[in-house]
Amino acid sequence: MNDRQPVVVGVHATEQALTLPDRDAMDLALEAVRGAIADAGLTPADVDGAQVDWPGPGGVPGEGSSWARMLGRDLRWTSDSMLDNAGSRGLLKAAAAVRAGFADTVVVGGCKLVSRGAGPVGAGVPLEFADVWGSYVVAQFALVAARHMHEYGTTSRQLAEVAATIRNNGTTNPEAMMYGRGPYTPDDVLASRMVATPFHLLDCCIVGEGGAALVVTTAERARDLPHPPVAVLGGGMEYHQAAYANPALHREVGGLGRDAATRAYAMAGVSPHDVDVFSLYDPNSFEVIRQLEILGLCGEGEGGPLAASGAIALGGKHPVNPDGGCLSYAWNGTQQMTLKVVEAVRQLRGTAVHQVEDAELAVVGNAGSGAQHYEMSVLGRMR
Amino acid sequence: MNRPVPVPTELSEPFWEAARRGDLVVPYCPACDLRFFVPEPACPGCMGPEWWYVPSAGRGTVYSVTVVHRAPGPGFDTPFALAVIDLDDGGTLLSHVDAGDPDAVVIGLRVRVDFRLLTDEITLPYFVPER
Repeated sequence: MNDRQPVVVGVHATEQALTLPDRDAMDLALEAVRGAIADAGLTPADVDGAQVDWPGPGGVPGEGSSWARMLGRDLRWTSDSMLDNAGSRGLLKAAAAVRAGFADTVVVGGCKLVSRGAGPVGAGVPLEFADVWGSYVVAQFALVAARHMHEYGTTSRQLAEVAATIRNNGTTNPEAMMYGRGPYTPDDVLASRMVATPFHLLDCCIVGEGGAALVVTTAERARDLPHPPVAVLGGGMEYHQAAYANPALHREVGGLGRDAATRAYAMAGVSPHDVDVFSLYDPNSFEVIRQLEILGLCGEGEGGPLAASGAIALGGKHPVNPDGGCLSYAWNGTQQMTLKVVEAVRQLRGTAVHQVEDAELAVVGNAGSGAQHYEMSVLGRMR
Repeated sequence: MNRPVPVPTELSEPFWEAARRGDLVVPYCPACDLRFFVPEPACPGCMGPEWWYVPSAGRGTVYSVTVVHRAPGPGFDTPFALAVIDLDDGGTLLSHVDAGDPDAVVIGLRVRVDFRLLTDEITLPYFVPER
């Protein structure tokens, strides 16, 4: 294996909660960065790249190079974009930088305090032809789900099976926001109040606050670090259009991510059926069904029956979100994407709360905005 | 707080002006013979610099619909049918279909435009069942 093979050597998730009244964004970001660097067995001065949110106070809010003074050294790589600081997208950009030699060790992450006084989740800027119609994230995904159901016969009960399965993983995860709540049956999901058809309340993810970070370096540098390195074996990204300005149409975005997945698997030299555990974006139950299709686990339109067959449960053929995902563990704005990487890394280290036995290969899938974008990475235990 | 009111831009001003007259217009690119929506700084089909608004007959079919029970903010009467409408003569719009009962709005429903006043400046293209 190439010496510059990018590997994840450190991860940290802060506490995740509906609201963290005693924390501010900067202190959560600092904890995430300190935690990930410490977990990697490194010191701040070992890090020469930072793709991390800088909310302030101090520095220049939004400017990533503010981290140079915290890390105590000049940086070789940085990012000013919230989406470049999270999840597979952040990880792949950091991995590309490490692979190319622009930097040796990059920290990726941040935090957001989203629920405090925030409006509904949306683009964050006024959208002339969307806001006036009451379009928002749940409704945008609902428009895609409704068309999928119309074309393929996907049912509300299949959606409810997904929600119940993933939520029940969180029920027994002490780190999950919804720990101890549940367990849920599909009937419980179907009996919860309607948010936007076909999504009931329990089909939709939670909204909370928290931070997360990870550290990427080279396989060579990782040799004398404490944790077994997790290799970034492949990845792919796909962008249909900017978020929310136009409605998400199933005919345009139903298959979004398939190209990214095909590239990612080819790069990693693996097939989707080799993957032991999936850490997937679950803003709602349907988006998991869509991803089963684009990730190549079944044909187009077959995601509903596959999800309802028990395949995505712990112990199933394709376990999805053993931590409880965004439906039960945590959703904290863009950093929920980093939490997906954190869970995959823990699974591959063998230290997850709900460990998939002998997990060697994981997929992290991030998406959003009614599936207008998709970013996925293939991670593997180094042998 | 009220329902968000669109703020016209240099791209959209003719759309809202037509709507005030009760006319539905959509951007049209002559280079690739494409009607599109929303208005963009260049044609999304060919990136051509020149496009203009052309009238639409305002009839179409519901491509997808969600009945929204929890609105994203104040100013909305819930539940409402938020729908994507494919216009017969080209272009795809987000709108509300007012069929009385929102659950009666289903994929494939034939609809026609029905303008309704939001403010002095903004008249909105709602849709209603064709018959």
